[in-house]
Amino acid sequence: MKRWVVLASAAFLAAPLAAQSLRGRLEGRIPSAAIPAVDSLIQFASQEGLPTEPLIQKALEGGAKHVAGPRIVAAVQVTLGQLRDARDLLVRAGDQPPVLPAEMTTVAWALRRGLPAPLVERVVAALARPPRAAAMHAVADLVAHRFDPDSAAGLIIEAVHDGVPRERLLDVSTAALQQVQRGHTRAEALAIVRRQLPNVPAPSKPTRGNVAGARRPASPAPP
Amino acid sequence: MSVIDPRIHQALDGELASEAVPAELRRAVAQLVAAADLLAAPLPGPAASLESRVMAEIRRPAPSRARRVMGWLVTPRAIILRVRPAWSVAFAAVVAALTLFTTGHDGPELAEHEGIAQFVGRFPEAQSVHAVGTFNDWRPGSIALEDQDHDGVWRATVVLPAGTYEYMFVVDGERWVPDHLAERLVADDFGRENSIVIVRAAPR
Repeated sequence: MKRWVVLASAAFLAAPLAAQSLRGRLEGRIPSAAIPAVDSLIQFASQEGLPTEPLIQKALEGGAKHVAGPRIVAAVQVTLGQLRDARDLLVRAGDQPPVLPAEMTTVAWALRRGLPAPLVERVVAALARPPRAAAMHAVADLVAHRFDPDSAAGLIIEAVHDGVPRERLLDVSTAALQQVQRGHTRAEALAIVRRQLPNVPAPSKPTRGNVAGARRPASPAPP
Repeated sequence: MSVIDPRIHQALDGELASEAVPAELRRAVAQLVAAADLLAAPLPGPAASLESRVMAEIRRPAPSRARRVMGWLVTPRAIILRVRPAWSVAFAAVVAALTLFTTGHDGPELAEHEGIAQFVGRFPEAQSVHAVGTFNDWRPGSIALEDQDHDGVWRATVVLPAGTYEYMFVVDGERWVPDHLAERLVADDFGRENSIVIVRAAPR
């Protein structure tokens, strides 16, 4: 009983603090008239278990680009709708609620990059275990380069089943693109890469000069 | 081997008078006599005795300390270093390790989930270019690109947490431009397109 009281008190105190922190990030960055509407959209997302950072980023983006308040609110609303669609898709494909926020963001990315919802659903269902971000981007990269969407998804799913680590899936799509650059048709490129699985070319390492010249930006935000 | 006429020997030894030497041998006898006179003559210049040369060296003033040090420094000397092969191999290994491990740590240390993003754009007339996006809360100013050789190509290399980011370039503080070199683009819901960069954790 005592524990529940403590948790309820913490939640009671944390909610206003979070709202205050959120307003702090938005104040001075977007038109003040738009803040209440954006704030309420973010509260909706939070209550539904959706990730809120994409909404905050969309509002900040609009403010930085000097977009009028109503358009910022509209864009945040669109982003909220994309996250809801992503959550519904993940549940349809077999993920158990509550769905991981990172997976919702990943699927929202994939849909925004133009992947058809049934294709995204197929990839999610085939790769039951998160994270799926690299797989989604690999498929989206291939589709953006006019590969057949179903064949592209098939290659990436097969790569995972053949034991290619998730973080190496972008190397699979890169290998297919390189085969096209060497003069192969897209179908041939997919076939060549498929034959070589689970071997894929290693990603290029950053050069010592690049690492030496790299610097950290001030206060990077989490993705 | 030619044999010298015995009458030439006799003439050189004084056993035969010069008038008695046959005419065909007189020229050879004269040349040999001249050569013998040349060898017998003393060397030109004063021939200093050993004693006088030693005394001259003693009387010469001693060079200053600085001159002696300078002379010691510039005089070539042979140095013989005797090293056991095992020690020289160990020394080479230490030098190689120091070279590899000290130069490999140039620049910032990357954490486990960090990677490197490179931003490159060609803006020949620009005075300033910034990368602005979800990695810096869309706040202009934190990532400035540089055109160090003034060829119009602006660059920045930054350390970011691994992840997917949307961004645009802000040229001269007011012009928003997508990264034309980025292969991934997405609508920004404000009528333009954002570029996408995927930062992968650096291999360890």
